[in-house]
Amino acid sequence: MKNSFDEKILEEANDWVNANQKVVLATVIQTWGSSPRQVGSRMIVNEKGDFSGSVSGGCVESAVVRECISLIKDNKPCKRLEFKVSNESAWEVGLACGGEIAVYLEQVN
Amino acid sequence: MKLQTLRSIIEKKKNKSEFAIITNLSNGESEIFEKDKSLSKEMQIYSNQINEFFKLKKNGVIENSEIFVETYVLPIKVIVVGAVHIAQYLVDFSKSLNFEISIIDPRGYFASEQRFPEMKIINKWPDEAFKEIETNENTALIALTHDPKIDDPALQHALNKKFYYIGALGSKKTHENRCQRLKEAGFNNEQINSIHGPIGIKLGGRSAPEIALSIIAQLVSETYKK
Repeated sequence: MKNSFDEKILEEANDWVNANQKVVLATVIQTWGSSPRQVGSRMIVNEKGDFSGSVSGGCVESAVVRECISLIKDNKPCKRLEFKVSNESAWEVGLACGGEIAVYLEQVN
Repeated sequence: MKLQTLRSIIEKKKNKSEFAIITNLSNGESEIFEKDKSLSKEMQIYSNQINEFFKLKKNGVIENSEIFVETYVLPIKVIVVGAVHIAQYLVDFSKSLNFEISIIDPRGYFASEQRFPEMKIINKWPDEAFKEIETNENTALIALTHDPKIDDPALQHALNKKFYYIGALGSKKTHENRCQRLKEAGFNNEQINSIHGPIGIKLGGRSAPEIALSIIAQLVSETYKK
């Protein structure tokens, strides 16, 4: 049996929209190798860069937030991002766990 | 995603219906899929694959396509017998999990609204209460009163309906006596041994929240075994 943990992220997205915020949904759509969060995991980001939920274990969230803000600024409907293993150089965004993930961004409109 | 789609997803979750969100990744268009409901024209060619994802309760991109399927599963029904202190913490923990708790307790002074705000307590004996709740093999039972008058009928119902998780609070001695009574009531060893008693994984704690945590941990673990 599959138990989905109900994170109520979409409910929160709706609350943000009701508070006149622009909201981007970021969803994990594919994973390869070991990845911290499974397909369907989600975070939401508003135009100020506030975010809730997660698409990794904290590895790529900052990059996702930046991309979401540009999506709102450029007024684009959607975008696909891929994150691979980070190399050893410090501060680079990537997945320390060695996995790869694809994250799909879409504006709520 | 259109705001309208987002809002109908929230509505469907509230109404406890099973559905999937189908997103065309190339343009961001999404729609809601439900059993026996037809898909939009452009999605119809993927109908077999979408049904397969839905049946397996799977999320993912359909091979060689730009179609992402996200399936929403119903919360798991958990029946708690006994509106006791531990039950209050079970309710707290279940808020962040996909468990939908119903509490049965015929003793009115336990089942008060003040102890369980925003929570429906069925203030009846288990035999009567189960007439109001639809249960099946995907239901779990947590018996907490360790009073045979209240727990036993609930345990018997759960065994007959083949609940995937049945746990009963009480010491080893209490559990031995319980097993003996169930044997006398005609249940076989395999059925009786499927009951988790004493309930919970071994954490060592004895306070109400610690016991609730050990029960929830066992419930999650058994849910993934199934």
